[in-house]
Amino acid sequence: MKLNPASGPSAEDTMIDPVEIMLVAGCQKGRVDSEIYDLIAFGQRLQRMGAQGIGTRGIGTEAMGVWILGDDVGPAARDVARRTGVQVTAVQGIGLSGYLNETFRAVISREMEAVQPTFVCAGHTSRGWEWAPALAASTGAACVCGVDGLVESRGRICFQRDVYGGKAKGLYGSSAATTIITVQPGTFKFDPPAKSPPPAQSIHKEVVGSAGRTRFLGLKQGEADTSHMSSAPIIVAVGNGIGDQKNMELIHRLAKLLPRAEVAGTRIICDRGWLGYNRQVGVTGASVSPKLYLACGISGATQHVMGMRGAKFVIAINTDPLAPMFNEADICIVEDMIHFIPLLEDACARLAGNAEQDFVDSKTLRR
Amino acid sequence: MEVRIIMGRHSIMNILVCVKQVPDLERIVVTHDAHGIASLALSDRFAMNRFDEFAVEQAVSIKESMTGVHIDVITVGPERSVQILKRAIGMGCNDGVHLATTANADPGPARVAAWIAQFARSGEYDLILCGVMSEDFMCGQVGPMAAALLNLPYSTQVMGMKISPDRADVSIEREIEGGTRELVDIPLPALLALQPGINRPRYPSLSNMLRANRHVFTTISTDTLEPMEVQVDCMGFSTPPHARAAQVITGSPLEKAEQMAALLKAKALI
Repeated sequence: MKLNPASGPSAEDTMIDPVEIMLVAGCQKGRVDSEIYDLIAFGQRLQRMGAQGIGTRGIGTEAMGVWILGDDVGPAARDVARRTGVQVTAVQGIGLSGYLNETFRAVISREMEAVQPTFVCAGHTSRGWEWAPALAASTGAACVCGVDGLVESRGRICFQRDVYGGKAKGLYGSSAATTIITVQPGTFKFDPPAKSPPPAQSIHKEVVGSAGRTRFLGLKQGEADTSHMSSAPIIVAVGNGIGDQKNMELIHRLAKLLPRAEVAGTRIICDRGWLGYNRQVGVTGASVSPKLYLACGISGATQHVMGMRGAKFVIAINTDPLAPMFNEADICIVEDMIHFIPLLEDACARLAGNAEQDFVDSKTLRR
Repeated sequence: MEVRIIMGRHSIMNILVCVKQVPDLERIVVTHDAHGIASLALSDRFAMNRFDEFAVEQAVSIKESMTGVHIDVITVGPERSVQILKRAIGMGCNDGVHLATTANADPGPARVAAWIAQFARSGEYDLILCGVMSEDFMCGQVGPMAAALLNLPYSTQVMGMKISPDRADVSIEREIEGGTRELVDIPLPALLALQPGINRPRYPSLSNMLRANRHVFTTISTDTLEPMEVQVDCMGFSTPPHARAAQVITGSPLEKAEQMAALLKAKALI
């Protein structure tokens, strides 16, 4: 079902070779979305699977292309093409100086018509996740969102993604001619080629046409200042397992016990107003990398985990032995935090008391 | 639409809220066989998707803030789903629609969106609200897909919204990575998928719940709606891998506390 490039919808589009894998990213003020390299790594995995004959349609060695939409795209597009050896199409023009799903969908659907891709991939970000499903519905494509793995099952490509709050991975197959996928950032890592790749083409396009129905008015920085979270050596984080607001005292007491510890919470705790949004860890809050992350009563949904993956050491306390948080922990304690934290406080006090005792003993010995 | 704008404050605003019933996540048990094939034992306790509660609350607070607002709540699911329509009425919605499925398996977002769009075409809705995703399958696709099928402008991850006095458009703030917000103006009719935290969902009131229990809901079998080819199928489940050591501390609660304290001391943290 490939369109002959010469019979493409417009003369402008005949410049592009048909591609099997279309990778889409945005670019604001000359800076391309960082997940573009994750997408290229994902595309390369798809190509390798295709080369092994996996998939309902052979992907073969056919081209993969990157589309970058935004403003001041040129230099960024050339940079991506030079570093990866993948052909890049830079699209800029009316409505692309700020992100609007309406403009993205209009541009990408026109490009899809021209190149008839098997896969269209974007980052599973606030933007990719917004435009991808609607584009699928209006073009008759299938859509799988939040993909964090590619596996083979019965000769088919399966897209792996979190279900049930991360308690299980669901494996999804697609029978559609075109499948639109959003890929979890950070799950596919791009390794720059050892030798610099042959220079790839960078094509420039201007969008013409009228403005859409929606209007982008600008960006507003979040009110929450999370800088104190990013530098904290210890974070005591609390989730829904706390149960009641009156139990929050336990968390504050535990944090006082540990040197320079900050209290943090999951989205649900901040939504309830039990902690300020400046203490939220996760995709829409702070990303932290403390020496110790103590997760109390946190189930471990992807949106939270993505904000604490950089922690050096993780201890998780949860009643549910199947809580996904335990998959992200070095030490797992299956207990109810409400009962466990007082026991822990006592145990710490005893140890601290012993330490003083040891010190006295050693001085006595020396004498 | 023009007529309504001219009518000004006497106009009627119709809101459709999309809700889903989901199993209690904490009671889901994942087991796996020797080949690593996972199977899920779902809970028999169901509730309204937590993310959808924000959509219901938003609709009810709009109704309270202006005159002439009517709220329909819609769900797709088996018979037990009617429970969450009752809850939505209990929170202050006017009417409920049950698109009843016969199969127990989740129809998937593409079909749910197509069915909701088919229904919504008949209703002249000015605003369609839904949650950002469901807690169980976490697709976040129904809203954007339904908007595309209805050719409505839409936005997701909406953390703030203000309807203009003439009710012609809505100014929204959508939350993106790191808590930054995009400011967007969207003409009505439109669809918005709301981010948790946009409001504090209320509990159903007793008087509304009494009304909800007597309420007769519109029921439409999905078998009578336009069939739709399924392009994405779930081929199975697997257990998530461990990203770290995941060493489980064993013993009595007291022993566990002592082991953890010793560990903190060894790391010079206490």
